[in-house]
Amino acid sequence: MPGELERKFGGLLEKKWTSVIRLQKKVMELESKLNEAEKEFIEGAPTRNNRKPAEWIPRPPEKFCLPGHRAPVTRVIFHPVFSLMVSASEDATMRVWDFETGEYERPLKGHTDPIQDIAFDTTGKLLVSCSSDMSIKLWDFQQSFECIRTMLGHDHSVSSVAFMPAGDFVVSCSRDKTIKMWEVSTGYCVRTYTGHREWVRMVRPSSDGLLLASCSTDQSIRIWGVASKECRNELRAHDHVVECIAWAPDLATNAINEAAGADNKKGAHMGPFLASGSRDKTIRVWDVGAGIALFVLMGHDNWVRGIVFHPGGKYLISASDDKTLRIWDLRNKRCMKTLDAHKHFCTSVDFHKSQPYVISGSVDQTVKVWECR
Amino acid sequence: MSSVKIPIPVEDKDGDNRWMSIHNKFLLEGREKDADVIFIGDSIVQALQHTDVWNDMFVPLHCLNFGIHRDRIENVLWRVQNGELDNVKPKVIVLHVGTNNYDNSSEEIKDGIIGIVEAIREKHPNVYLVLPTLLPRGQYPNPLRKKLLTVNELLKSQLESYPKLELVPIDRGFIQPDGTISHHDMHDYLLLTNTGSKKAFEPVYEIILQLLQEDEPEKDLTPSE
Repeated sequence: MPGELERKFGGLLEKKWTSVIRLQKKVMELESKLNEAEKEFIEGAPTRNNRKPAEWIPRPPEKFCLPGHRAPVTRVIFHPVFSLMVSASEDATMRVWDFETGEYERPLKGHTDPIQDIAFDTTGKLLVSCSSDMSIKLWDFQQSFECIRTMLGHDHSVSSVAFMPAGDFVVSCSRDKTIKMWEVSTGYCVRTYTGHREWVRMVRPSSDGLLLASCSTDQSIRIWGVASKECRNELRAHDHVVECIAWAPDLATNAINEAAGADNKKGAHMGPFLASGSRDKTIRVWDVGAGIALFVLMGHDNWVRGIVFHPGGKYLISASDDKTLRIWDLRNKRCMKTLDAHKHFCTSVDFHKSQPYVISGSVDQTVKVWECR
Repeated sequence: MSSVKIPIPVEDKDGDNRWMSIHNKFLLEGREKDADVIFIGDSIVQALQHTDVWNDMFVPLHCLNFGIHRDRIENVLWRVQNGELDNVKPKVIVLHVGTNNYDNSSEEIKDGIIGIVEAIREKHPNVYLVLPTLLPRGQYPNPLRKKLLTVNELLKSQLESYPKLELVPIDRGFIQPDGTISHHDMHDYLLLTNTGSKKAFEPVYEIILQLLQEDEPEKDLTPSE
């Protein structure tokens, strides 16, 4: 059947011919991609061999992608001493991980609703957590890994907690519009700070323990005297919910002053400085002492959910609902690197104080560890 | 008064009380999540959240999906009046319901939808309402398709001048020249596939994006200095 044969093999040569070209093109594409990745891995980080802690920044690809949580991850933090990190989730559990090996160490169970925030004291012996179940829990992180105290008093979900630098008190804030201070040794609520007109999203004490900064759905940031309970200042410039705040380390002073256009020798801005991230997609940096907004970082395409200063003070890292982590060069007010970090909203980011690691958490229920180079 | 105007919860015929559980879950989600956009309605809305369009386009806008399979107008009305839109502050609410009211007349379906629109308006006077039109259903031409088409025409004439409401035609491009609907668009000739939902809901996405950006400051695209 010559006719049938012809039909069968007709055009075969042409097909082969074009497929060779198509495959060649694909090979070239993949090779260039590989080159880029290699460059990123080796040369993209010129300081890799003699990397300096002040310069290193997280680079793709991630070192570990850790699944396990059964609901969005709300917060990730490093342990101040050991090579451990803790993630909190809307599945009402916390998980302890070793960030160097990627191993899952243990769960911490006790809350009954989504956990919103967690924090270590400076020694890393105590962990505090807060939840939508309206409770705050203290956990022994030395031996038993059990909940040693539950503190009740907020009238709505508790959105954030932090230890005071001395470790003797815990501050918390809630959707009930208040901020409360709790004594660690007794579990009593000793102070209540009122003034925000809406849900208070996050609270963080300054490093000297004299001030509290808080941010809220009412679009403001407030600065409070810890002892006097008075609201020292109300910072307004964001035009949407302020999601997160972070106090700048002392090392960041120079970079922030330069970014703000001030003459360093005169020391125009004394600080202390605070950064804030908002649903208006911007990050702002403030001079808290003077009560003024210094500059804005724009680039994220969605809500900014987490910010942390680089321990060296030159950079700021942010996590956003646009699924990226961004590294901002403070001095030039510019986004110097974008990491397509997760498949869903990035909710939280933390930077290790001394080792080259960054961790991120996401609504995609994973925790990722990024190595810095 | 036709039955579509009287809010009723779904009767628990199966005996597992699922419908009420879903309603309670929605109440909780509304309280916990700050959604900018809320989708509420029937099977079409529920099925949307399992598509690529939902994950890639709608999720980044901070959406909640309050769709329940097989819900009728009177069921959605009941849910609206019983808390699902009470503790939320959305900027946009998307309503799609009516395809399951196959035993009502097109006039009644239209009145029922407008009834829900008014109920939503009462709770959220300033919210933008987006109404995707009803989709055709069934592989071959059938009376129900005709009825839903009439509903769309009635809605168009009646809601055109309604303030802060966008009626988005999404029913075009599904009926092929020979009158059939492809299973590539609707896998069971009712619910949308990935391809179908892209066709139908991309225009909805465009509108929502515009509405959300309306009160945002315009971006300065000229490079400074």
